[in-house]
Amino acid sequence: MSALAKRTTPYLWSARGFIAPGVIIVAVLLYLPLLWTTYLSFTAYDGLGDPQWVGLANYAEMFDDPDFLGSLGNTLLWVVGTLVIPVGLGLALALLTWNLPGGVWLRLPFLIPYAISGIGVGLIWSFILSSNGALDQALGFFGVDETPRWLVDAPLNTVVMIVAASWQGIGVNALLFTIGLNSIPKEPLEAARLDGATGGRLFGSILWPMLRPLTTVVIGLSIVASLKTFDIVLGMTKGGPGRASETLALTMYKETFVNSQYGLGSAIAVFLTVVTMVASILYLRQQLSKKNEI
Amino acid sequence: MNSRKTTIGVLSALSLSALMLTACSSGGSAAPADGGAPTGTLNFYTDKAAWEPDFKALNASSEPGVNITLNTTGYSDANQYDAFVKQSFRTSKSPGLFSWHTGDSLKKLVDENLVAETSDIWKKAIDEGWVSKDLERYYTFDGKQYCVPMNIAYWVMYYNKPIFEKNGIEVPTTWSELDAAATKLKAAGTTPYYQTSTLFTFQWFQQLVAGTDPALYKGLSTGDVKYTDPKIVAIMNEWLDEQKKGWFSDAGSTTDPAVGLKQGDFAMINFGSFFGGSLDAAGMKSGTDYGFFVIPAKNESLTQTPVAVETGPLCIAENSKQKDLGLAYAEWWMSPEAQTAWGDARGDVPFNPKAKVKDQALAELGQNVASSDYQLVERYFEATPTPILTVALEQFGAFNANPGDPMPFLQKIQDEADKYWAAQG
Repeated sequence: MSALAKRTTPYLWSARGFIAPGVIIVAVLLYLPLLWTTYLSFTAYDGLGDPQWVGLANYAEMFDDPDFLGSLGNTLLWVVGTLVIPVGLGLALALLTWNLPGGVWLRLPFLIPYAISGIGVGLIWSFILSSNGALDQALGFFGVDETPRWLVDAPLNTVVMIVAASWQGIGVNALLFTIGLNSIPKEPLEAARLDGATGGRLFGSILWPMLRPLTTVVIGLSIVASLKTFDIVLGMTKGGPGRASETLALTMYKETFVNSQYGLGSAIAVFLTVVTMVASILYLRQQLSKKNEI
Repeated sequence: MNSRKTTIGVLSALSLSALMLTACSSGGSAAPADGGAPTGTLNFYTDKAAWEPDFKALNASSEPGVNITLNTTGYSDANQYDAFVKQSFRTSKSPGLFSWHTGDSLKKLVDENLVAETSDIWKKAIDEGWVSKDLERYYTFDGKQYCVPMNIAYWVMYYNKPIFEKNGIEVPTTWSELDAAATKLKAAGTTPYYQTSTLFTFQWFQQLVAGTDPALYKGLSTGDVKYTDPKIVAIMNEWLDEQKKGWFSDAGSTTDPAVGLKQGDFAMINFGSFFGGSLDAAGMKSGTDYGFFVIPAKNESLTQTPVAVETGPLCIAENSKQKDLGLAYAEWWMSPEAQTAWGDARGDVPFNPKAKVKDQALAELGQNVASSDYQLVERYFEATPTPILTVALEQFGAFNANPGDPMPFLQKIQDEADKYWAAQG
């Protein structure tokens, strides 16, 4: 053993000792539940007794269930909806208020709902949108008596819930885009302006490409957040009526904790994890390769 | 020097890890067993968080009565609670006393030997006349009893008294009178019945099926009758007719049902006899602002009127360190003294006929349904196996929200029922 190795070994042990708490916490709280959930997804288990191995039966049952496919469709609607509304409007708000005197005061009110939990947002909006709720009464005041059944009819209920989630999400996206806009170097902007680029041309050729690193993060976070949509739906419709507005996360919860089908719930959890990971990896890989092309 | 530093570093880091793990795993220690009479503080868990003050109020009677103080932890989310109880059986902290559900849920705990037998307590209670023999069957598995009744509730019709009086409607004693009352109310611009699209979506189905044919109703819970049976389809079509007549409130409304009855959003609501507590809390007065009646049988040729009964158990975990304490409390719980105190605290019908009831109307209800004019049927919620129940609640909710051809709704429930009964062998 060399002298260097002799000196390094105790140092290494010391370092390992120091990282041990972190490693143990990550292993116990993150990896172990992931492995346990994956194992459970191959079993029939009602929370009592011992899990019984059933192979791929839970996965077969999952894809055979029209309600699961409906839930998957709703989740995709959430992904598209949260990309279009909170990300799109967040970007628009950031652009409109950027460099505007007092722009921060225009952005601030949009940020306040971000402080509320998803369940809280759900409760507020269900008060507004329930049948004969605040919105119906307000419309009635203006003589509109035949109002849509906002939270009852599908897919309208999912659409209005996306609007409710957007109410919460626009502000923080606008804040992130504003940070991105402020970090753009002045020189290329001034050069573009000298060349006569304004409005849409300035945005399309300079701002949008230079915002890409931040857009990648915002869109990536938005995809992940929308795939795991749960609390706002639980607060507003509980996935109903029937199972018309369920998302994958809610289906996972219902199968596990309401139906006590821990195996099937775990299979949905594994599916959701895989979809989220694949979507994130594909998206980030594509965006990062684009970045290299700039 | 270097090696000392390393040793100190490694030791500090490992101590820190150990400390963190200890912090994660520590959950407090159990009360020491003294081997003597079972007295002390009994940890009680329930999903009836709103009833926590009522259980606490009971300590004033239990402390001198059995020398046990209840330390109540209430969960407000039933699903979270169920998961907690199930997981607790795998630990050394399984509860000495906990509330649960009868039917399929209790059977599962009994099958896994997770709850303590209470046959001796039941024998004593029946011998003393503290509980009706009828109730025993909900707690009996293979001839042995498990758990004791926490409460009992009869599913009746609550109504807004001023609305009935204003429209000159008497309490209906036959199904035709009930139909006539609904027709009259609708014509006067008042929605007759409450309905919702989540959770409590089953009661009208329960009422219509049990009130038409109690054997048909029972057959659904045993798998002998299919949800797609022509008789069930016919009953659903009658429900659909009532929906088309506009007899039910808006299923999408999130107004508290007690508030809804108070402000006249609807005139009647089919609910358990515990609902009086919610109406009182909403500022209504029993006998003046609201009353209730047993819903007449739909099939007027039935000799006994079926009444849905719900009973929730108090159970003791078999492997709990507080098992003796839990059993001693359960025995006291059955006594007239405990049930009188419970009736006072909760304002509910006590299951013990010897308990004193303050609310005269509730006392009469308890006596009436015990007579031979009535037949108790298990509430749909407990009578139906959990996986079928979940789908049924969703489908009845969807039917309430969008009433239409009942067949697709019934078929979905039957698909789940087929799957369930096939798995039972």
